[in-house]
Amino acid sequence: MARILDLTSDVGAYGTRLLAELGHDVIRVEPPSGDTVRRLEPHLDAAPALEGSAFHQFLNTGKRSVAVDLANTEGRKLLLALVKTADAMVASLPLPIEQNEILAANPDLVLVRLDDGEPELCNVASTGLLAITGEPDGQPTLLGGHVPSSAVGVYLAMAAAAAIFGKELTGTGSVVDVSAAQCLATLAEQVWVEYSVSGEALERMGSRGGITALAGALPCADGHWMVSVPPDPRGWTNFVQLVPDPAFKDDSSMADEAFRRDRKDEILDLVGVWSSSRNKHQIVQQAQDLHIPATPVLNPLELVDDPQLLARGFLRPVDHPDFGKMNFPVGALASMTGQAMSFAPRLGQDTAAILTELGYSTGDIDRLKGQGIVA
Amino acid sequence: MAAPRQLPLSGIRIIDFGHIVAGPFCVRLLADLGADVIKVETNTRLGRTGARRGPPKRSGSSGRTPHLSQINRNRRSIDLNLKTERGARIARQLADAADVVVENFSNGVMDRLGLGYADLVKTNPRIVYASMASFGHTGPRAGWIGMNVNLQAASGLMLATGEEGDPPIGISNSWNDYIGGLHAAVAIVGALSKRNKSGVGTYLDVSQFEGSVAMLGGLLFASGVTGKPPARTGNRSGLAAPQGTYRCAGNDQWCAISVQTDAQWQALVALLGERAAHLRGAACATVAGRHAQHDAIDEVIEAWTGALTPVEVEQSLKSVGVPAAAMRRGHDLAEVDTWQQVLKPIAGDSGIKVLGLPFDFQGVAPVAVTDAPRVGANGREVLRDWLNLDDATIEDLMHEEPA
Repeated sequence: MARILDLTSDVGAYGTRLLAELGHDVIRVEPPSGDTVRRLEPHLDAAPALEGSAFHQFLNTGKRSVAVDLANTEGRKLLLALVKTADAMVASLPLPIEQNEILAANPDLVLVRLDDGEPELCNVASTGLLAITGEPDGQPTLLGGHVPSSAVGVYLAMAAAAAIFGKELTGTGSVVDVSAAQCLATLAEQVWVEYSVSGEALERMGSRGGITALAGALPCADGHWMVSVPPDPRGWTNFVQLVPDPAFKDDSSMADEAFRRDRKDEILDLVGVWSSSRNKHQIVQQAQDLHIPATPVLNPLELVDDPQLLARGFLRPVDHPDFGKMNFPVGALASMTGQAMSFAPRLGQDTAAILTELGYSTGDIDRLKGQGIVA
Repeated sequence: MAAPRQLPLSGIRIIDFGHIVAGPFCVRLLADLGADVIKVETNTRLGRTGARRGPPKRSGSSGRTPHLSQINRNRRSIDLNLKTERGARIARQLADAADVVVENFSNGVMDRLGLGYADLVKTNPRIVYASMASFGHTGPRAGWIGMNVNLQAASGLMLATGEEGDPPIGISNSWNDYIGGLHAAVAIVGALSKRNKSGVGTYLDVSQFEGSVAMLGGLLFASGVTGKPPARTGNRSGLAAPQGTYRCAGNDQWCAISVQTDAQWQALVALLGERAAHLRGAACATVAGRHAQHDAIDEVIEAWTGALTPVEVEQSLKSVGVPAAAMRRGHDLAEVDTWQQVLKPIAGDSGIKVLGLPFDFQGVAPVAVTDAPRVGANGREVLRDWLNLDDATIEDLMHEEPA
């Protein structure tokens, strides 16, 4: 598979992880002081400072690490030597070396350039996503867990994977420009569709969004569950079997989706009263048995031993050198392909091996380390 | 001179058996990368319905709702009822001529139609076959059905968003359909690369749920180690302070502000003038210090933004180098450069603009955007192009009675 140099910021790091999940050899090139991903919170105390970011541990899974100072002439020379051996480079702008120097070193390189844009919160505000996230009467809210950056990453992976595929067929590389803000704008597509069709703005709907009339997160004894009642008559019949409230059973007009849409909050409140004394996993299983789309509302802690994720190999039980026994998330593509995924590399873990491969002697490497040019 | 450069998936043939958003959106991404796509559908199926809010205000020339019209652009449509012998047989022939199949039916549907991977691979070992069930086709939840909101809830997104004590908070669009479609598209392109080397295709049992969970992978990893749920940090950031959405003049008007550096903080304090006099000291000079005072800082900022429009706030802050962005919605999105760059006109249509790919292959023309077809609009053409059938055979097939 392809050798890919990864010089993305935290905005693109999920994208290069996906490329590793596809089986590519991804080498993260970072400064001797460590990259921004290593500084994202939360920090896990069991690991050394620059290894303990939970986001580093997830996003840099499956990659190797070369730590090199690209502000230094010898460091830049080293990068160009590495570029000669690579199939692709994926980098956040600005590039650390002039583009024509990079392409002169390897004219058939696939070069994917990511414009990170503004900070995450500003990017979602100006692209329309912020306006549709949050409670209607509360403040507009940033999607948590750096999910907007991850979304940019998936687009980045698609651009890079496609350019690499093209190179396999034609032998020639290409330069691809990816804009983080444009990526997020395309994910606000429905905002644009609604405006261009009706002249109206979509608004945030909090926990009661959804396409069908009756959809929302409702309280139960141990948290919340999410239901989306199918719009067809049979869906309603099934739903009344699940929630046999007389107000539903005895009112035939309820079978009409438009009628339900007009009384959405009133109906969902009644369902919430029914569910508030019940257990979310039991409700959801009963609903699924009746072909009603329903799920528990879970937080990440409730997913760390999720039976579905374990059964499909998305979570693999491991003994981690820093964190001990845990269920290790290999990722959504690796779970399908069975790709082995190494733990996130220590800063500069692979520097010596890769420099040796490039022809640097042990003496050279020691000198560069001594001078702080590599780590 | 080298031959004109082409988009990377030029010449790749894809069958879209998808419905609603996730499958057809995945296919649209691949079409934008140059692939030749046909949609197999019939008027009696879900392909034309769902995924809209309330009654359609304008159905467009494709007979689809406006949103589905955009999702289903750039492909040709053949009307085949897969529940008939004729429909399944022709679909099978098309699959033999295809590189990629995408479907997002519930567990077992394609197998029952004789169009599962195990069936197709017998005659087309190069096929890359992507299923996109909500939870995948294996595991204890293989049979579960889930809409976008169900996956927002189950993936952890709704409890990773917002502040401590908030109810579950979601995003009011088809977010998880997009995320599922994107992950599937990456997997498909990766499988095509592997096929270049191995000569054989593969089966991709995509789980949209796993794509959504992986988007939050850092938080999942943290919880797996600490045994605690992640803190709900709302609009704040560990590395930038102050950061938040601030209420501006008018009804539900907001501006996002994110102070990334100490220098930006000094610029903000200078801009706020006397009202921020008490924040000028060393206590707020560092990120850690500003985190400790975040509530007090927010109060001062909001006292200032409350009298201004979001765009006025954005411009004032940007002029002194502080990252800020007005919250855009509907009409004011068109004023943003980003949107102008990503909106593409539909070929031959009345100036309607739709969203294209958010990236450019330098020196390669993007595909022209074509409107979604009416159901069955391109049947004859597809049979001619993909199956190399002559006109007489095509007429026979088109008029054959369903078995």
